[in-house]
Amino acid sequence: MSKPTDLVQGTLDLLILKIVALEPMHGWAIAQRIRQMSSEVLQVGQSALYPALHKLEQQGWIEAEWKISETNRRAKYYSLTRAGRRALAEESANWERLSGAISAIVRTG
Amino acid sequence: MSRWLTQLRFVFRSVFRREAVDQDLDEELQDHLQREIDEGLKAGLAPREARYAALRAMGAIAKSKEESRDMRRVNFIDDFVWDLRYASRSLRRSPGFAALAVMIMALGIGANTAVFSVVRAVLLKPLAYRDPDRIVALTGTVSEARKGLYRQVSAVDFQDWHDQSSSFDAMAYYVSRETSVLSGPSAEYARVGAVSPEFFRVFAIEPLVGRFFTVEETKPGSSGAVMISYAYWQSHFGGDSRVLGQAIRMFGRTMPVAGVLPPGFQFPDKTDLWMPAFPRPGETRGGLNYLAAARLRANVSVERAQAEMSSIAQRLEREYPLTNKGRGVAVTGMRDQMVGDVRAPLYLLFGAVSVVLLISCANTATLLLGKATARTREVAVRVALGASRRRIGRQLITESLLLAFPAGVAGLLIAYWGSEALVALAPANLPRLGETSIDMWVLAFTLGISLATSLLFGIVPALYASKVDMNDALKQAGSRSVTGGGLARMRGALVVAEIALAVTLLGGAGLLIKSYVALNTVALGFHPEHALVMRATVPSLTPEDAGQFFSGVLPQIAALPGVSAAGAAMSPPGELSSGSYGAYFVDHMPDQPDIISGPAAMKNVVAPGTFAALGIPLKSGRDFSDADTRGKAFVAVVNEALVRESFRDENPIGRRIFCPFDSSDGMTIIGVVGDVRQGGPDRDPRPECYMTYRQHAFNGNTLSVVVRTAGDPAALTETLRRLARETSPAVPMKFTTMETVLADNLAAPRFRTLLFGLFAGLAVSLATAGVYGVMAFAVGQRSSEIGLRMALGATTGSVLRLIIRQGFVCASLGLALGLAAAVASTRLLTSMLFQVQPNDPWVYLAVAVLLGVVTLAACYVPARRASKIDPLAALRQE
Repeated sequence: MSKPTDLVQGTLDLLILKIVALEPMHGWAIAQRIRQMSSEVLQVGQSALYPALHKLEQQGWIEAEWKISETNRRAKYYSLTRAGRRALAEESANWERLSGAISAIVRTG
Repeated sequence: MSRWLTQLRFVFRSVFRREAVDQDLDEELQDHLQREIDEGLKAGLAPREARYAALRAMGAIAKSKEESRDMRRVNFIDDFVWDLRYASRSLRRSPGFAALAVMIMALGIGANTAVFSVVRAVLLKPLAYRDPDRIVALTGTVSEARKGLYRQVSAVDFQDWHDQSSSFDAMAYYVSRETSVLSGPSAEYARVGAVSPEFFRVFAIEPLVGRFFTVEETKPGSSGAVMISYAYWQSHFGGDSRVLGQAIRMFGRTMPVAGVLPPGFQFPDKTDLWMPAFPRPGETRGGLNYLAAARLRANVSVERAQAEMSSIAQRLEREYPLTNKGRGVAVTGMRDQMVGDVRAPLYLLFGAVSVVLLISCANTATLLLGKATARTREVAVRVALGASRRRIGRQLITESLLLAFPAGVAGLLIAYWGSEALVALAPANLPRLGETSIDMWVLAFTLGISLATSLLFGIVPALYASKVDMNDALKQAGSRSVTGGGLARMRGALVVAEIALAVTLLGGAGLLIKSYVALNTVALGFHPEHALVMRATVPSLTPEDAGQFFSGVLPQIAALPGVSAAGAAMSPPGELSSGSYGAYFVDHMPDQPDIISGPAAMKNVVAPGTFAALGIPLKSGRDFSDADTRGKAFVAVVNEALVRESFRDENPIGRRIFCPFDSSDGMTIIGVVGDVRQGGPDRDPRPECYMTYRQHAFNGNTLSVVVRTAGDPAALTETLRRLARETSPAVPMKFTTMETVLADNLAAPRFRTLLFGLFAGLAVSLATAGVYGVMAFAVGQRSSEIGLRMALGATTGSVLRLIIRQGFVCASLGLALGLAAAVASTRLLTSMLFQVQPNDPWVYLAVAVLLGVVTLAACYVPARRASKIDPLAALRQE
């Protein structure tokens, strides 16, 4: 099983941006969503998740807001900024290109 | 842009609201944990187990917190704040060290800032006109054969340039000179520019009051009009707007004031009045009487304009080979043209002063290294406790930054006074010197060099700290007997560098000093002592008036008590600007005069008695006499240089010479006088042809009366002024002495020699202090070793030798490197040296001896202290 730390550099950022693009979400939900959407293949621990979230926030790609969650607790919700949307488009395109290229090589022979 | 703002906001929040941010993070992770637990509970685990499972799943929370903080760049800034606190504490603990380091750096930074403020004002600041980059100078260029006639252009050539070119919005020629101006009760000297119609459009200025010249007023034969500067308006008309139409009298004409120019405009050379340049009838292509300026059209480059002008000049060369062969035109930015002569010397001084700064850096670095040695153990302990070497290096650099800040502030204070002193010392004719100030650029420069130098002197100890061997350092605890070999080498290398740099500067200073001494002792060809000079201009166009004034005044002056001789000259020695230089012909005047490759001479108009008054020896023949008047046959006196050039071994007396000036009539040579350095002590004498003012009155309305006195020449000033006023109240006068003129001639070499000497002195003092510091420190470090040696029987003498040998090695290495660097770099000085070669062995020998003595003296004091060490006391310290 692949751990996120083994992922290609920057891939976690892409995943977070993609997930957050759907709707504002708190850290735990982001981790859950990544697991579900990857059919349990990708598991992101908090030790990787929170530094990544803070870095993205620092870069101005996502922004955070404290809200009262469905469980009636205060939770920090992350949502995509305009700069983040641009970054997501760019990163996705990059990823498509890269994964396509890798697949092309792996599949030959 | 907004992204940067966002980031900045985050960093600020992270640093200044750290508690809030940390709390956020805690809460966020707590929430995460709680959700994990909830998941476990949902899956049916007991609360306790669910909690454990969640904690296991989450892993090390502390580590994640730290990483999140890192992501926010908090640690970086946090560390910096801690470093600052730590550094200021450690500097407070050794205030003497801190004060010394700050003082040394302040000297270097201050001297550099002061010189930079002058460099900025004179060389770098854009001209204060609209679109200064578009204003260019059009200067005449000449092939080697005709050097001496350069820059100036003729009005006829100019007209062709103007009509045939398309690169310019406006093009004008101008000439400016000091002359007699009558705008109030009495005549006085003022600088007047005669300018062609487009002159003011070149600078894109509009009159503040009134208007520019009308087309009518610029035509020859019209009465003309005058524009005045803002300063002249204030000083002579009290800023009154009724100035328009007021009459100003100069060059024998009366002209009305047409307008006032905006404040600050005084081009060229502090001109106060401008009048139309009326082309003289019969002006030729050979009459190089004007300078030219132009305004480039928008989007036309200097290169393109140059290409166009060159092709025009080539066309003129083909059409008029007699006058224009070998003549071209150069298009240069006006600022470059104005400061062209002073650029090299100023940059050289800037280079010299930056060497001083380098030495200050090296000196401070050795000081810091000394401190670093004392802190070896501290560094080792911190490394042992897990501090990374980079962190320790960064901490040391922070410490040097902390030193650089007060040094920069103190340096700025030094520069504030220093730049005032520089302006006072600098030659008065340095263009734009008055604009020197500490402006934003100078402040930025100071900040820049403060930071750069702190890195430079901070990097050495930081490098050293990163190499400290923890084990060794800790084992040495308590023992001071063994110095770190690497450290000693590093300090030694720094001292060698200091000495080498100081020697290089000292070499340059030595050459300049020797050259300055030569300038002051060179044979001038005349005696400047006890000679008063009174410049007077007779405001008249009729030659008779001018002649009458001087012939009336001169005998009265000669008869004054205490006066041994009196004369008058159009261009006295040292005043090349009032001189005229051009072709002359012997025996007969050719039909097609070859003024390009033929010989040329200075042309001077003098009164009888001038040679005696200046102390110029008469070699053969006779001086002019009062009998040589306009009605008589024209006569001339020539100097020996002209005889060498044109007569070789023949006797020139009685031969005829033609000097086309105000008249091309032939003159009989009646006498030969000795050579004079006409252009100041640093210029070789040129051939010179003297004429008498009674026969050449056209150029005789402005003469400098020269009076040889028995006592102080200046004491005679008032008597002369009264005499001249009685003869004619309309004649303005200006007084000086021949010695003052000479001092002005030497102002530029004096300035650079003084500054270079000052910087070299500073460099040597700093280097000596460096040597002393290193040796004193080495003795302190080795005191127990020396004690041991003495206990084992070493004599005082052998200890002295031991220490001095160490200093000697540094000194001779530095000296060798420095002399090599000096030989390589003083070639830059060649154009500034007079009768001294840049590789003058005596200068280098003197430098070597001086530096050798000084450094050995600096070694001797600590060596002496070492030899006085009490072996018992030293060994007991162990």
